[in-house]
Amino acid sequence: MNMKKRMVKENKRGKTSLSAAPINQHRGQVTLFVIVGILIVVLAILTYLFYPKIVAGLGLGSQSPSQFMETCIGDDIKEAVHIASYQGGSINPEHYILYKNEKIEYLCYTGEYYKTCVMQQPMLKQHIENEVRDYISATARKCLDDLKASYENKGYTVSMGMGGIQVELLPERIVTTFNNSLVLTKTDTQRFNSLKVVVNNNLYEMVGIADSILNFEARLGDSETTTYMNYYHWLKVEKIKQSDGSTIYILTERDNPKNKLQFASRSLAWPPGYGISGVMY
Amino acid sequence: MDEIKLIKKDLVRKKLIVQKNLFIIIVLGVLLIGLVNSIGLPTGGVSYCCEKTVAGAWCQNSPKDNCNIGIDPKTNSVFRAVASNCESLSYCKMGTCINSQEGTCMENTPQRVCDENKGVWSEKPVDEVPQCSLGCCLIGDQAAFVTQTRCKRLSLLYGLETNFRTDISNEVQCVLSASSDAKGACVFEKEYETTCKFTTKRECLDMMSSDSSVNFHEGYLCSDETLGTNCGPSQKTTCVEGRDEVFFLDSCGNLANVYDSSKAKDMEYWSRVYDVGASCNSGQSNADSATCGNCDYYLGSTCKAFKRGEDKVKPNIGNNICRDLSCEYKGKTYSHGETWCDNSEGADKNLPGSKYFRLVCYDGDVTVEPCADFRQEVCEESQTNGFKVAACVVNMWQDCASQDTKEDCENIDRRDCQWVAINGTSESGYQCPLLGAVGVSTTDTVKFKGGGCVPKNPPGFDFWNSAGEAEGLCNIASATCTVTYEAGISGSESCVSGCECLTQAWEDSMNKMCTNLGDCGSKLNFIGVQGFQNKSAITREDVDEEEDSGGGGLF
Repeated sequence: MNMKKRMVKENKRGKTSLSAAPINQHRGQVTLFVIVGILIVVLAILTYLFYPKIVAGLGLGSQSPSQFMETCIGDDIKEAVHIASYQGGSINPEHYILYKNEKIEYLCYTGEYYKTCVMQQPMLKQHIENEVRDYISATARKCLDDLKASYENKGYTVSMGMGGIQVELLPERIVTTFNNSLVLTKTDTQRFNSLKVVVNNNLYEMVGIADSILNFEARLGDSETTTYMNYYHWLKVEKIKQSDGSTIYILTERDNPKNKLQFASRSLAWPPGYGISGVMY
Repeated sequence: MDEIKLIKKDLVRKKLIVQKNLFIIIVLGVLLIGLVNSIGLPTGGVSYCCEKTVAGAWCQNSPKDNCNIGIDPKTNSVFRAVASNCESLSYCKMGTCINSQEGTCMENTPQRVCDENKGVWSEKPVDEVPQCSLGCCLIGDQAAFVTQTRCKRLSLLYGLETNFRTDISNEVQCVLSASSDAKGACVFEKEYETTCKFTTKRECLDMMSSDSSVNFHEGYLCSDETLGTNCGPSQKTTCVEGRDEVFFLDSCGNLANVYDSSKAKDMEYWSRVYDVGASCNSGQSNADSATCGNCDYYLGSTCKAFKRGEDKVKPNIGNNICRDLSCEYKGKTYSHGETWCDNSEGADKNLPGSKYFRLVCYDGDVTVEPCADFRQEVCEESQTNGFKVAACVVNMWQDCASQDTKEDCENIDRRDCQWVAINGTSESGYQCPLLGAVGVSTTDTVKFKGGGCVPKNPPGFDFWNSAGEAEGLCNIASATCTVTYEAGISGSESCVSGCECLTQAWEDSMNKMCTNLGDCGSKLNFIGVQGFQNKSAITREDVDEEEDSGGGGLF
């Protein structure tokens, strides 16, 4: 009886010991597969996110210098335009109203009641251009360095001159010009006086409409939104009055609602009561 | 106190005439506090002109505490703050800022701000600045009512020649004067084949200069059989940027006439250019029409690619349709371009917290435009042939209380007030304080003679703000009425004058006056919650004849 019991135990042990090796091997393989899988996924994500920059950095592909710059800085330009246009034209608004957690710059303002506003930003187009330029300048320097390195890696002799950046809002587009002369020499010589990156956007048109609204605000203390929507069928104009007398304007491209220009004004504000006892600042 | 009354009555008996003054003080709504606290200069006393405020605003009249007196990083000079009005100081004087590059002008701009932004400043108002005078800029087949500099700039931006006409003095005339270039079939040879491009005469002439085989046929479509091109009718349609209508496309991809399914095989319709006005169902919106593409934005439709679920019918030909731009809101349909009022709960009674809103239907989308808070703007709506038009208009209630005749009160050109009759009128009227009213001293009073003038739409007050004016303004409704009694020989008293003040009707009408002044008196708020003061306060006080000077008082 005892013998039998022991045999069984041994058998059990034997079974156990026999099957133990393949399971461990299997676990090791699974772990390896999991690690490799994770690595592949991470690599894929990184490639997806940084592919253009990797290609540009490694000097792969056959991009022209302008295409290189577009790949390198295009997203930064779009980001700068997005931030500025959602915040009344400023990357870091100084005098603003908070609306849905966004700082919206006052472009026309009076702290008093019963008075029309004082223009705060009479050159909005130029202001936005300067804001975008300042926002991208650091990245632009790096991209120009990368561009030079990229062509040098391809065996070119690169001569790059110093130059500034110019951002221009134009009808249906934003053109960023890098005024750096570039000479690429290999078997032949290619010369570029400047490099341009173009982003399609209706901000130029929206700035013109904002100027018109602001002139109405400065003269009459209000503006009529339907006038603009009648004239520009692609445009949606929203006017949202706040309790302190401020008005937030939101200009939206109907077919591309992410393209917006938001700004604030405080003009001809009416107080609760007669407003004798205070003013806003 | 009882002793004093007995002594008084004894004295009166001796003279056989006893007068007893009863002060009925109605304090409707809130408790009364002197109005003096609510009147005063802005915080900080003397007003300064701040070149820049601490908050970052340029050229603001403000107490000194709000002025930024730091250093301007751009000029390295200290921001100025002078005890004066900005208009009188050169650096903050208002004028016009000219953008000489873009040709635009911005009004009400301080010199300092214009200079800072590298604009050209003029102290003249925009209408008097020569660089800002407007004219008609004809550019291609478009027109814009802009400055001459702007016209040149547009020419540069669009690469088109412009014609600036100063003889056209208004925008409507300018837009109407825009004429499109003559269009037609530009026939040419390409790869041993006669083909065609539907374009302007100008563009075709440019092609002619480089190719002698090019011919222009004004008013003809490329699908015209007589031209002998390889272009013919097709079953395709398209939308064109800047146009409302759905257009046919020919087999070469050129634009043809407005989509009309009944003429899809009509060769005459495919040979000549038809005016939009002569196309199918002209003068109608043709929204959701399967057969006609003569859309009109102003009548409520525009060309869009057909979308199942969004468009009610599929076009018989092609994939574009006149999209219906009307809106659905709270179960009602509103036309494109229609505006209407949809106010908050309680706005019909102007209850505390209620607010007016204007709604706008455009492009199938309803947007909400709140009118100014505290009912300083009200939404007004009118209707023409069922088409609603609404606007937030300023509520001109401020000087209602100072009007003492019905005629002045209800002068709608000057103010938005209404006359509330007070039941049981008195010849002398009731003296009421006018504290808080603009331009009125604290000792002025108004007589409610037969009635009182109150806002048609009572404004809201910031009654929760101890520094606000709510109490002072509501106190306007406080009235003092002197009731004279005559004591009889038997000791009984009979009312001699001011007796109407003892009636419930008088109390009710005074209460109505109070609640009509604004967020005063006993009210529910806009969500139906009763205010913390739910009774009108009436105080009675006996006074000696000598003490009653006949003037009003505030309690």
